[in-house]
Amino acid sequence: MPRWIPDEPGEEAALLGALGIDSMDALFADVPKRARIGRMGVGPARDEPEVVAEVDRLLNRNRPMSKFSSFLGGRITSRYAPAVVDALVSRSEFYTAYTPYQAEASQGMLRALFEFQSLWVEMTGLDVANASLYDGATAAGEALLFCRRLHEGTRFLVPATLPWEERSVLENYASGPGLRVEGIPFDDRTGRLDLDFVRTAVARQDVFGVLADVPNGFGHIDEGVPELKSILGNVPLVVAADPLSLSVLEAPGNYGADVVVGEGQGFGIAPSFGGPLLGLFACRKEHVRSAPGRIVGATLDAEGRRAFALTLVTREQHIRRSKATSNICTNESLMALAFVVYASAVGPRGLARLQATLAEKARTLASGLGAIDGLKAPRFDAPYLSEFTVELERGTAEEFLDRLRRRKVLGGHSLRDPRPGATSEAERILVGIPEATSEKDIQKYVRAAQAAIGAVGRTA
Amino acid sequence: MTFQQARWDEPAVWDLAPPPGPESLPMIAGLPDRLRRKSPIQWPELSELALVRHYTRLSQMNFGIDTAPYPLGSCTMKYNPKVSEVLARRSGAAEVHPYQPESTVQGSLEVVWRLERILARITGLPEVSLQPAAGAHGEYAAMLMVRAFFRDRGELAERTEVLLPDTAHGTNPASASMAGFTTREIPDKDGSVDLQELRRAVSKKTACFMLTNPNTAGLFESEILEIAEAVHSAGALLYYDGANLNAILGITHPGRMGFDVAHLNLHKTFATPHGGGGPGAGVLAAGEKLGPYLPVPRVVKEGRKFRLDYDRPKSIGKIKTAYGNFGLDLRAYAYILSHGEEGLKHVARRAVLNSNYVAMRLGKFLPRPFRTLVKHEFVLSGAPLKERGVRTLDLAKRLLDEGVHAPTIYFPALVEESLMVELPETESKRDLDGYVAAFERAISDTPENLHAAPRSLSVARVDEVRAAREPLLSWKDLRAASAKVETP
Repeated sequence: MPRWIPDEPGEEAALLGALGIDSMDALFADVPKRARIGRMGVGPARDEPEVVAEVDRLLNRNRPMSKFSSFLGGRITSRYAPAVVDALVSRSEFYTAYTPYQAEASQGMLRALFEFQSLWVEMTGLDVANASLYDGATAAGEALLFCRRLHEGTRFLVPATLPWEERSVLENYASGPGLRVEGIPFDDRTGRLDLDFVRTAVARQDVFGVLADVPNGFGHIDEGVPELKSILGNVPLVVAADPLSLSVLEAPGNYGADVVVGEGQGFGIAPSFGGPLLGLFACRKEHVRSAPGRIVGATLDAEGRRAFALTLVTREQHIRRSKATSNICTNESLMALAFVVYASAVGPRGLARLQATLAEKARTLASGLGAIDGLKAPRFDAPYLSEFTVELERGTAEEFLDRLRRRKVLGGHSLRDPRPGATSEAERILVGIPEATSEKDIQKYVRAAQAAIGAVGRTA
Repeated sequence: MTFQQARWDEPAVWDLAPPPGPESLPMIAGLPDRLRRKSPIQWPELSELALVRHYTRLSQMNFGIDTAPYPLGSCTMKYNPKVSEVLARRSGAAEVHPYQPESTVQGSLEVVWRLERILARITGLPEVSLQPAAGAHGEYAAMLMVRAFFRDRGELAERTEVLLPDTAHGTNPASASMAGFTTREIPDKDGSVDLQELRRAVSKKTACFMLTNPNTAGLFESEILEIAEAVHSAGALLYYDGANLNAILGITHPGRMGFDVAHLNLHKTFATPHGGGGPGAGVLAAGEKLGPYLPVPRVVKEGRKFRLDYDRPKSIGKIKTAYGNFGLDLRAYAYILSHGEEGLKHVARRAVLNSNYVAMRLGKFLPRPFRTLVKHEFVLSGAPLKERGVRTLDLAKRLLDEGVHAPTIYFPALVEESLMVELPETESKRDLDGYVAAFERAISDTPENLHAAPRSLSVARVDEVRAAREPLLSWKDLRAASAKVETP
């Protein structure tokens, strides 16, 4: 057994003796016999080298992205995290702390979170950010409920192009209060949202919020998004923004967004098979009392010096219980720390340069793939940054991607909802550009794609 | 008092270096002008050393488990093993994308599958999903499952109410309410569910009863089998809040107690670090009634291969992107392997032993409102302090000056001026005795000193009322406030 439970000679006997009992069993006298269990069936303890060997044995069955030329993207991406990020996030004064309920003992984390909130405010052009939510999808879900607190109605409009996972999460968040999530159709050539549809829907007075993602689920930038607010009037607009894109794109608060959410994983957080991630949320100051999640505020201490504390807690579950703005308690604070350290390490100009480089590589890849017969790349005639959509004119995305994999290329992911019975869209693949992508990787993808599409439909 | 926390006069990160000027950004072809940012994000560009010093200094102004005992009740602040940190950073764990083809992530899938199987045995509930990101997220998902279950049975229109004890964590009513239920609290009797009240309250309107056992008063609900019977005979479901599972590992489990669905907090019972507020990992475990409603995908084993199964027609769908907080799942898996069957059982026993020992000792200073046999945590009432003009809050702040963390305070609300103490199994008798001695010094101090506490931390008593009354929530707010001062 590990030495994680102290075991000085006589220690337990002394504790038992002080309580006047001679066995641990007496401590469980309040558990009725009929409720007791025998063995759980967990297996024997292993010492540290054995645990390491066992976990490594399992992890060695993975083939991490580095073994391939990877073009996986979506909300989760593979970007280089400067070593300084993990070094600081690994300070155990941060990572072994609980939620900073005792402000005086937790100024370090509170200040780091205040800096994180400030950064997301600067990036989005809004006024207030919370101290994080679980991930981009749940942040969008919380935004949906937030909009409903600001505005009457039963319908929440989202792009029909939204990734199916996010749509499903949103539908869950909507289901409790009996609200509906509805897809906004898009133009088949450009992927742009049908603004007339939005206009008509809003005129019916039952829309309580609209979400648009930038870039959208196809990786493209929809030039119509900045026009949305003028159509919506006082119906709240949520923009789901990729943080890196905001290094070169207009802050959504400047074109009328009332809420900006996002997935922060790309900023210093490893993909780790999908978690932990980082949900970002910002809103306008006049709406802060309707906002979900913890918020750190600046104040003074008893000696008049600058200090920080969790604030506006009367919104939260531990005070307001069933009337809270959200049930969230544990959030992603340590990931928020990674986010602000990453952004500070790379710097605003560094982020913009990185985004420009990725966009350049994406263009090179798209034009390479676009020249291949049987592939439409990019599928939509619209600007894009780090990602774009490829459409197959024959075969399935699964078969195509599998053929690429055999050539050591992870060519992206299918945009199809994998649940049986889901409406089958065209065979589309979202292709992303991880930071490590080289010219050679791009050439490799193009060659592999040529071979793969040529072989599609033939037996492997 | 010998403790002194670092007290750096550290500026904010934006006072350490200027943001870039209004220079133009790199051109990206095809971007419409309307959507182009005109100048870089206003954020400082620091040298790496400046950045390292800044956040290192901040870390030195923060308590963690690695710093000192951290007896927050209901939070199970146990030692977070270093080996788990090393393993979670392996490239085979960290550099794996959730959308990789299944054939390339067999290891991750197997870790998830194995951990789910083990947690099924630990909870006695056979169907497990690791998708929730935290405990409250698991509660919420479970309430959505309850909803879907009764919708399928055509009873949703009638079963609109979720019952919970008055000792419940705030997340319980909040989660139920977000899932569209009304909530109703069942009064306690001496800190435990009043069975007669519960029997009176359950009806055809009841969808679910949410219960933590041991509860937040630190008491095992000894009438749990009768509670389960009362809930089930009304056709309702029983939900287990796993925040306090640490106390009963290997002794009993939610399945045996009659629960239909449970959430666990890997960041409590299974020692994954809490990260200063998160990330957590909330497991969902369900019996046969609710199992089909768990989020997709589920990880299944076919022959020797593992795959993601989306073919679950009754599933509520997704509750977050990808499959859960894998980095934490892996840490918890290493933790469970390390302990094994006997070790996990010993975890519960020692946690309960520690708790009863400290409860007995601290009971000499403050009243214990409920029965004396407690589980992993216990509650004291700071009400007698009021005679000296002192509040529980003062005592908590004064404890910080001893170099130990304060207990959870003012929860559960049914105890006046409550303190809730949990010192898990990883604290030694020496540390427990040290905590008791610190507590004695703190509570025996003069009212003046208690009011003036803390004095040895990086800041003095923080004015939280001011923080809420004049919200300054970002650098932007600070700039606006200082502009106001300069130009009155």
